[in-house]
Amino acid sequence: MLRYVELYFKLVGAGIRAQLQYRFAFVMRIVGMITAYSGTAITMWVMLYQFQELGSWNFYEMLFLFAIAILSWGFCIILFFHFRSLDTYILNGTFDRFLVRPINPFFHFMAMKFDVAAFGQFIFSIFIFIWVSIELGIDWSFGKFLFLLASIVGGVLIQGGLLVIISALAFWTTKSEQFYWVVMYPARNLTNYPLVIYPKFVQWFTAFVIPFGFVNYFPAAVILGKETPFFPENIGYLAPIVGIVFFVIAYYIWMLGLSRYKSTGS
Amino acid sequence: MFNYRVYWTFTKKSFLRSSVYRFDVWSRLGSNIIFLLMWGSIWTALYAGREEAGGVGFEAMLTYIVVSQFLTGVNGAGTPLWEIQEKVRTGDIALELMRPFDIPLRYLFADIGSVAFYIVTALLPLYTVLFIFMDLALPTDWLTWLYFVVASIIGFMIRYCIEMSFGLLTFFLVETGGIEDIFYFAMSLLSGSVIPLWFFPDWLATIALYLPFQGIYYIPNAIFIGEIAGAEILVSIGIQLFWVAVTYMTLRLIWNRASRKVVVQGG
Repeated sequence: MLRYVELYFKLVGAGIRAQLQYRFAFVMRIVGMITAYSGTAITMWVMLYQFQELGSWNFYEMLFLFAIAILSWGFCIILFFHFRSLDTYILNGTFDRFLVRPINPFFHFMAMKFDVAAFGQFIFSIFIFIWVSIELGIDWSFGKFLFLLASIVGGVLIQGGLLVIISALAFWTTKSEQFYWVVMYPARNLTNYPLVIYPKFVQWFTAFVIPFGFVNYFPAAVILGKETPFFPENIGYLAPIVGIVFFVIAYYIWMLGLSRYKSTGS
Repeated sequence: MFNYRVYWTFTKKSFLRSSVYRFDVWSRLGSNIIFLLMWGSIWTALYAGREEAGGVGFEAMLTYIVVSQFLTGVNGAGTPLWEIQEKVRTGDIALELMRPFDIPLRYLFADIGSVAFYIVTALLPLYTVLFIFMDLALPTDWLTWLYFVVASIIGFMIRYCIEMSFGLLTFFLVETGGIEDIFYFAMSLLSGSVIPLWFFPDWLATIALYLPFQGIYYIPNAIFIGEIAGAEILVSIGIQLFWVAVTYMTLRLIWNRASRKVVVQGG
């Protein structure tokens, strides 16, 4: 286990050094990320300019909801985002190199890439957290802060788990990138807004099938003291557990897919 | 001399090519439906049971969003921005420079083919069903439908010219991060695709009215639900035509500069 931690940092360190060779590209990507997220935040502001509330959530509460999603997505990009392009590795035959080395292939594939551009997500979401905390006067007790961290970890595992499942589809269908754009990209957009506004079956689906509700909606409701109609009160406390369970399931699906994998055989 | 038959071939070919990539069509339709669900839910929640807001009825607003999502599907079915950027970065576009046709027009005609395929096989069936089964405020006279179609086509042209211009900027910049995000932001907010301009703060609405993006979604959508009516329709279409001319000339200018740059570098 310890060997794996050491190995992860070694592999990742090499990746970071490689990316920092292109300083300008690095900075521009961060600027791009922040611009894109600010765009969504401005859209929310314009939307609520006349209406004040969306399903009883005001602008600052929605920003908070958005920031939780962005922060955990930032970690997710670092750790798992490259899983979506597993199909390219399989089709090119370059996936085989992950199999011939004496370490767990899942781990090896995970440590292959470490995307430092996620700094954009961190800068944006931390700025929003501070701003919203001041505007809404959230009093950050130690327990609350700890819960926020725990639910971020849960959110990373849920979104990472879905990325892992999507990549595993490539073992059966030789497609994965497209599934990301069809399933996950829209799902992420959907959860930028409070789930309460969606039809019941969508809410139910995002709570119990693909548990994206636990990434930001349920935890944010706990921290901000908002109601979550149709769901038990304080269901958000389950977020870290849901994350762990979902990720373990995802891991086994991936390993199952791997056992079925046959090389392109060129 | 403009040779229609050359470009028409591109349209036919890309229509046929789309028919091979069925999965692409279905996946695009899938995410279109999810975004429709998202914006439909958002506007239902914003109205929160009210019959009307800001002088616009709920049914009309819902129609606005459905039509807007239809047009988003139409505008998203062509060559995407990143693909143009990729072609410039990898140098693939240089190969096309050697061939005897005009590249901005060649992509436009190819886009028309893939868009036509997507409309016929995916968008029209889905949105016909939606128009029939949802409570929407459809135009009652055929002339409004006609104006809507005309405005949508001009909007498509404006979007094409702007997107292609942004794509060609890759010739001059090493890194385009930030620039494309500004493009996507303007495309979604300032065009009125998700929030109609009448709900904007006044100052922002004024800015949006002086920019070309409103011609892509806001004008056709508003014509469809009758918010732009009577003589205003012709004025709006006039504004759109003005923007097509401006954006097309901008595209030509950028293209001329860009293609000369290729020649210089290619030595």
